[in-house]
Amino acid sequence: MLALAEFLTSDRVVLLSATTKAEALEELMDVIVACNGGVDKESLAREIAKREEMMSTGIGNKLAIPHVRMEGIGRATMAVGVSQAGIPDYESLDKQPVHIVIMIAAAKGEHETYIRLLAQVAEALKDADLREEIIQATDPATVHRILTGPQDK
Amino acid sequence: MTMLAAIIGGGFHLDILPVIGGALLFGTLGARLFQKIRFPQVVGYIIVGLVIGRSGLGLIDTATLDALEPFNFFALGIIGFMIGGELHRDVFRKYGKQFVTILFAEGIGAFVVVSVVTTGVLLLVTGDIAASAAVGIVLGAICSATAPAATVEVLREYKTRGVLTTAVYAIVALDDGLALILYGISTSIAAMMLSSAGDNGGIAAALGVAAYKLFVAIILGVLAGVALNAILRRGRDREKALTYIIGSLALVIGLCALLKVDEILAPMALGVVIINLAPRRSYSAFGIVERFAPPIYVLFFVLAGAHVRVTGMGLWMCALAAAYVVGRSLGKMLGANLSARVTKSPAVVRKYLGLCLFSQGGVAIGLALAATKRFSGVSVAQMPVGTMIMMIIMLTTLVVELLGPPCVKLAVQKAGEVGLNVTEDDLMESYTVADMMDASAATFAESAPLATILRTISDTDAMSYSVVDNDDNLAGVISLADLKQSFSAEGLTAWLVAFDLMRPAVATIDSGAPLAEAVTRMNEQGLECLPVLAGEHDPRLVGMIELRAVSRQLSQEILRRHQLADDGST
Repeated sequence: MLALAEFLTSDRVVLLSATTKAEALEELMDVIVACNGGVDKESLAREIAKREEMMSTGIGNKLAIPHVRMEGIGRATMAVGVSQAGIPDYESLDKQPVHIVIMIAAAKGEHETYIRLLAQVAEALKDADLREEIIQATDPATVHRILTGPQDK
Repeated sequence: MTMLAAIIGGGFHLDILPVIGGALLFGTLGARLFQKIRFPQVVGYIIVGLVIGRSGLGLIDTATLDALEPFNFFALGIIGFMIGGELHRDVFRKYGKQFVTILFAEGIGAFVVVSVVTTGVLLLVTGDIAASAAVGIVLGAICSATAPAATVEVLREYKTRGVLTTAVYAIVALDDGLALILYGISTSIAAMMLSSAGDNGGIAAALGVAAYKLFVAIILGVLAGVALNAILRRGRDREKALTYIIGSLALVIGLCALLKVDEILAPMALGVVIINLAPRRSYSAFGIVERFAPPIYVLFFVLAGAHVRVTGMGLWMCALAAAYVVGRSLGKMLGANLSARVTKSPAVVRKYLGLCLFSQGGVAIGLALAATKRFSGVSVAQMPVGTMIMMIIMLTTLVVELLGPPCVKLAVQKAGEVGLNVTEDDLMESYTVADMMDASAATFAESAPLATILRTISDTDAMSYSVVDNDDNLAGVISLADLKQSFSAEGLTAWLVAFDLMRPAVATIDSGAPLAEAVTRMNEQGLECLPVLAGEHDPRLVGMIELRAVSRQLSQEILRRHQLADDGST
């Protein structure tokens, strides 16, 4: 098991002001760029868009996991955005609004970590109560603690 | 050009090492030229030898050639050894009677026809029937030997396998013995006919000498074979094995020269003993020598060409040589054909064996040399008999060494035995990646969902799959090992796509590249397979090449060809 705390710090959790998919992705990309000096936002946006075109990363159950592997990322990074109101245009697989957006950006060579991280995040958020707790949180520190807390024990 | 002439004119002669180096390099280059015009390489070696040798530019002098003489014996010994390795007891069991009958028939056929026609030509020149017949039967005896070297080299070059190939190996190996016996008898009769040549004890003594030479050579080879087998049984070190084999061969060949017995028969007996005492282990022993041998063969043939000196031949000498070549070829073909009929040998042996027996070399020249000594002081048509025989043998050796190899090639082609004795390496050289790739290998679009990928994988048995973008260009690869990680979370199958799972391809190969290059690349990089691209400037994916599939297909093809060869022989 990977410790999610390794990839997520509390300053990478944001309570989204966005109301659309594009705005939500934009906000999280800013977080990723802020903590990865080597990556420029334009290429990150291009890669994220390319992946969204293939299939929406709104995987259902109020959750979206946009993800990308690209040059310029130092090591795998997570950014989490929470929207209490929900983002209706995310084109989620279950056609419901998305409330939790977890963006994962990994370096080109981090194939294994990348896949394991995706699997683990999906696995952790299968729990409906946990998702609800995150959506109802009023500050990023709480979200961070919910996501990484169980891993630290 | 003038400088070269000045150098040559000034008596410039190359030393031994540059001779060896030059002979190897230019010989091989010359052979490539001949290969381009579809001639066996051995013809190229000999012609390069002729050009740089005594009949050509004279870059190699007699002293150098004499100094390299032991090397020629060594090369012949290696050739004898390799032929011995072809004579497994199964060959004797299966074809023994047929081959021995054919061997006698082709040898005696050539002996009779050459004796008659050369006697006829000489009779026209001299009018002396006794003298003409004396020289005629000596030439007839000498001509019966078939030189294995050039013949075997052609079989090797064209990777032949089958009953004709086996027959050629057996006969070129063994008819030296017959030639020695015929020579013993003929020279004794000839000496009596040319009464002034002095009698050395008559036919009985001559036969005794021939028998001694054969017997001692065979005993020597057998003893060395038993000893070498005992040594090889202990060690498994390939390099040491090579050293032991080469050491034994050099020793045996040297002893043959010392005892004045046949230098090919002894190493051949050595090879026969090794292959029959321990067939399995021996295949690797012969394989080791086979890889070591090519430069030795090249040097041997280039030197053979360099050795030839044909000058100042009168018209009648040319006629005599022509009669010899035509008579010998007809005699061998006739003898082989008739005896193959009588023994009910396979059709390919009957039709084509004669064509494979034209080559003449070391044994004939050795016997001619012996005849020169034996008949010194006797002249026919104002020419010393020894000189006459030597010149005829030199000239005809040159002619048949140039004509013989293409005939062997023709024969094995007609018999359908070319390319049947292949190894994986040979096959790999002959195929391109396109020949062996799987053009219908399953590929995935970048957007293919994991669920689809898993379904496809369960329906196919590849180790790795290519992912292509919208333009059909290679985007990456997905291997089974990579997928294992995605099995851990069942939820992933709904929303991961090929794009998420693929890795960049470590290496690719163009469809036109040689198969060997693809295999080397996979082995070096530890890959199971390679995506195949359309071309150097065309990155479209056209298929996948897989190491497992390549080696399976190559094994099948080798099996198919070997079966084809072996079926043809029943």
